[in-house]
Amino acid sequence: MATSVEEALSFTKNIKLCLENDARCEPTNVNILIKLVKLYNYDKSLRAGKMFLRIVSKSLSKRRSRVAIAMVAVLMGAAMASGLLTVSSGMQDKLGKEFRKFGSNILVVPKSDRIEVGFPGISFGSVTEGQDVVLAGTYFDKTFPDLVTNGEVWRTGIRKIAPYWNVEGSWIEDNNDDQSAIAGISVAEKLNLRLGDYIALSYQNPENKNVSSERLKVVGTLNTGGSEDSQIFVALPNAQKISGRLGMVHSVQVSALCVECPAELIGAEIEKKLPYTQAKTVKQLVRAETLIMDQLGQMMLLITIVALAASGIGVMTTTMTTVMERRKEIGLMKSIGAENLKIASIFLTESVIIGFGGGVLGYFLGNILAQYMAESVFHAPISLVLYILPVTVGVSLAVTVLASLLPVRRATRIEPAIVLRGE
Amino acid sequence: MTKSAILLESVTKYYDLYTRALNSVSLAISEGDWVSIIGPSGSGKTTLLNIMSGLDTASSGTIRVNETDITGLGQNMLTRFRRENIGLIFQQYHLIPYLTALENVMVAQYFQGTVDKEAARVGLENVGLGHRIEHRPSQLSGGEQQRVCIARALINKPNILLADEPTGNLDLKNGEIVMEIIRKLVNEGHTVVIVTHNMDIAKQSRRIIEMVDGKISADSTPILTASVSARMEHRP
Repeated sequence: MATSVEEALSFTKNIKLCLENDARCEPTNVNILIKLVKLYNYDKSLRAGKMFLRIVSKSLSKRRSRVAIAMVAVLMGAAMASGLLTVSSGMQDKLGKEFRKFGSNILVVPKSDRIEVGFPGISFGSVTEGQDVVLAGTYFDKTFPDLVTNGEVWRTGIRKIAPYWNVEGSWIEDNNDDQSAIAGISVAEKLNLRLGDYIALSYQNPENKNVSSERLKVVGTLNTGGSEDSQIFVALPNAQKISGRLGMVHSVQVSALCVECPAELIGAEIEKKLPYTQAKTVKQLVRAETLIMDQLGQMMLLITIVALAASGIGVMTTTMTTVMERRKEIGLMKSIGAENLKIASIFLTESVIIGFGGGVLGYFLGNILAQYMAESVFHAPISLVLYILPVTVGVSLAVTVLASLLPVRRATRIEPAIVLRGE
Repeated sequence: MTKSAILLESVTKYYDLYTRALNSVSLAISEGDWVSIIGPSGSGKTTLLNIMSGLDTASSGTIRVNETDITGLGQNMLTRFRRENIGLIFQQYHLIPYLTALENVMVAQYFQGTVDKEAARVGLENVGLGHRIEHRPSQLSGGEQQRVCIARALINKPNILLADEPTGNLDLKNGEIVMEIIRKLVNEGHTVVIVTHNMDIAKQSRRIIEMVDGKISADSTPILTASVSARMEHRP
């Protein structure tokens, strides 16, 4: 760099020679010249950018009420989209949990159906005086060490997976209880059983024809409205003892909760881990779950589309009014040298700012809406989903820009000569 | 021979099938000339000016400005041509209301592609508004607004200035200030075309063209305009 007036003058002269493509131009100066040109271009763009932002910001602040109307229109659509997206994402988890209250959705049975010990649908032959009923053994309430969290206790049993079971009297609390039974309401009515009564069971082993007898106290009656009402339930070890098949089970009911994954996938995983078993999904329940989820999803999508379309129409109307109000200004800009692209860029940038502002505000309003819906429907709060923020803002921007295209087209078609003479 | 800044050959303009604003107008305006276009309302003065500036297009005929044939140019090309060659001054000033005087001048620079705040400030100083650069149009008098309009028209250094009734909304004093600026611009070599109803303004120019029913009815120098003036004043 030049350090004195003489050096500076000499440098300037050399630059001038370079500009004139003179042979006396020093090559080092060419590089400096290129850098200066780049710097000049950068500075030029920077100043143009600043001026552009100044036009846009002042135009927006001048028309605060119109901007506010457009932003509210975007905000409403964005809030609806954000709220429903948040509810939808939390809903799958919460609805899944609600569905789990209706019992298991996977039934694990042996591939070879030779073990007949106690579960719904398997007959034990004559178990009472002249009355055939199904005897089912199950865990009512059972804790296992949790293999996933390693050390914590994992609680399961029929009370956990079938909370809809309605037992009058008491549950069989101890899994080693071999004196108690819970009778289905139909069995109790047929045999005229009341709480505290005793029932005598006899079981004939189908293989060796040996007959075993048990006397059990009815501690509770069960009312589910399903096939369980015609069965008698005892603790699993007791059923295994009666049937002479210690440690054996016929089937395992699984209540699988998995958001956004089919129960079949979990069934396949179980089959992989437990060879010789077959994991059947309870198709009706799974299908109902999927159907309800899909229908709710479609309904929310429809509402979102309608809300966004309404906000798009709101933005379009406001922008169209703005274009009409600013006809003279647009005509003036064209008359002093603004090409269509520059006119369009001013209006579209204004729309982008409105869309962005409306989108961000709409996201937060949507979250408040989602919280309210979750509290009133699921009685539980819903967590904030951050990925919905860029989605909401993106959708708002897209709606705003799309809605502005027609008014912007109208703006670019304004003829300066006509509007400037006041027609 | 002096070059033509503006050359019109048989220019006709129809607004619709029944409205003919210009009827085969041919006209040559030399570089550095100062021309006034006069005539009654609806005679085609403003249409002629708009066609010269490229704000409007002719239905037929040829228009050459600064030796460029602009007849067939598209809207964007015309806009580009206009901002590089022509400065426009309007009767209604047409300033952007939410921008300051300085920004109103800079906006023309922005559309040209080169924003230079210092040059814009000097431009306003040249029209005597150095002390009003941060004022918005609503804070300026009509005369001041017109001077901002002139500064904006000149900021990209066009050699042609087209003014439509530049003093039409101004009082005598402000009108004189504006005319003084225009005289100065003519002396600097700008080609100036003014549309006016005011004969006193027209008389200051070097050439007066009178329009009647879309045609040039008279083309004279001011020294010969007494009869033209008399005719205009006696028209009902």
